[in-house]
Amino acid sequence: MALSVDELKEKILEKALKGPKAQLYVKDFYACDPESKPRVIKNAANELVKEGKMVFWSSGSTTMYAAKGRAKDEEK
Amino acid sequence: MSKHETPLMDELENGPWPSFVSDLKRQAEKSPQCWDIIGQMELSFKDRMTHWKHGGIVGVFGYGGGIIGRYSDVPDQFPGVAHFHTVRLNQPSSKFYRTDLLRKLCDLWEKRGSGMTNMHGSTGDLILLGTKTEELEPLFYDLTHDLQWDLGGSGSNLRTPECCVGKARCEWSCFDTQALCYGLTMKYQDEIHRPAFPYKFKIKFSGCANDCVSALARADLSVIGTWRDNIRINQAEVKNYLNGASKSGGGAIPSRADKFNIKAEVLDLCPTGCMWMEGDTLKIDDAECTRCMHCLNVMPKALRPGVEQGASIMMGAKAPILEGAQLGTMIIPFLKVDPETEFEEVVEIIEKCWDYWMEHGKNRERLGETMQRIGLPTFLRVMEIEPLPQHIKEPRSNPYVFWREEEVEGGWQRDIKEFRKKHAQ
Ligand code: SF4
Ligand code: SF4
Repeated sequence: MALSVDELKEKILEKALKGPKAQLYVKDFYACDPESKPRVIKNAANELVKEGKMVFWSSGSTTMYAAKGRAKDEEK
Repeated sequence: MSKHETPLMDELENGPWPSFVSDLKRQAEKSPQCWDIIGQMELSFKDRMTHWKHGGIVGVFGYGGGIIGRYSDVPDQFPGVAHFHTVRLNQPSSKFYRTDLLRKLCDLWEKRGSGMTNMHGSTGDLILLGTKTEELEPLFYDLTHDLQWDLGGSGSNLRTPECCVGKARCEWSCFDTQALCYGLTMKYQDEIHRPAFPYKFKIKFSGCANDCVSALARADLSVIGTWRDNIRINQAEVKNYLNGASKSGGGAIPSRADKFNIKAEVLDLCPTGCMWMEGDTLKIDDAECTRCMHCLNVMPKALRPGVEQGASIMMGAKAPILEGAQLGTMIIPFLKVDPETEFEEVVEIIEKCWDYWMEHGKNRERLGETMQRIGLPTFLRVMEIEPLPQHIKEPRSNPYVFWREEEVEGGWQRDIKEFRKKHAQ
């Protein structure tokens, strides 16, 4: 059964905080719950940004996610 | 801030055309950071490399797009452009503006940014060039509260949808491009403002195959107006072209206008060769016509699109990164575009393709690259579309037919012994 939104958010944040890669594509979070639809995972990741726990890092053409404090050049 | 020595940039003021360098210098009187743009560009010309770094976490609260971080990599030399972020604004459908709104926008941008704009970026947005991180939230507040103007898309978002001038001014438009563009922009606000996909996704709408927004070359999904009945021919007007009373192409090419030759300019240029003359009557075999618009462009008074109008949907266009530039592939030759049903036919196709691409597209892979990777037959199956003659690019060179198990009676299970019996020697 798919995880609840809160469980999903917890797993996503854990991956963003502790995973080897500091910046992740939304697809990298799909593995957090193979049962959840990509759209649900995207919404959960975006909610974490709204809550200030993650940030978007964008090159202009693509967007990645990072736990707050782990994004490239975040001091800027 | 002082003016820099910029002999190379100054050269760009010498031609007969309007010069952005002159514009920058004029604007620099009010916004001194514009001197630093000119200075940094001069350095880039000398060094033959850009001195802009792009990318970062800048944005406005709640949004994951619309602002692109830009920084100078030589901020000590050019402190005015140390931060110089780009802001994308969602342009109105077909880019019709009210002058009072543009004046207010210019005033706001001179207060909060460099005063330089780019009308418009290649995605279609109105672009504000250059501001500092601390100005972003106040700018966004004033834009949304005073001007009711929103940001456009960037990054892995749905990019700001864009449409041609459509029925507002063009008699060739086969559907209301503005209504569809506006309707989908409102429906997909979340996808425009927050990243949703493996990479960027562009949707563009042209009312006919003249494709004035170049949807076919640029959009992951293009909706291009067409008709499925017959071209409407006014034979009396055809005669007016033949006898010189009407100018071909509305007289747009003066050298041709006075000596119209229907064979050279129309019949021989019809890509499917489906037009001919019987005396001075023009005939078209509409079953062979690809609705390319050529003959309608040359003889607009005599020929009009049919009355059963709708659109074709093409998917997978993109610029050269990875596999090279690619035009859209025909996916749906004709569908109705109906505002009464809130465009449900178009919405269904968009969402089916998103669902697949979000799951199976690789990171930084455009839809067109996914289509190329999996092949058109698989993509059509995913989209639940029966293969049609319009999907065929060229005659097949592979003699094998691959069946799927469900297409074969009895599947792959066979009673081999029974089968062999028939062939026993
Ligand atoms: S694409 Fe066709 S309908 Fe749209 S403005 Fe151009 S010519 Fe007119
Ligand atoms: S629209 Fe194009 S294909 Fe059709 S008849 Fe005219 S020139 Fe030929």
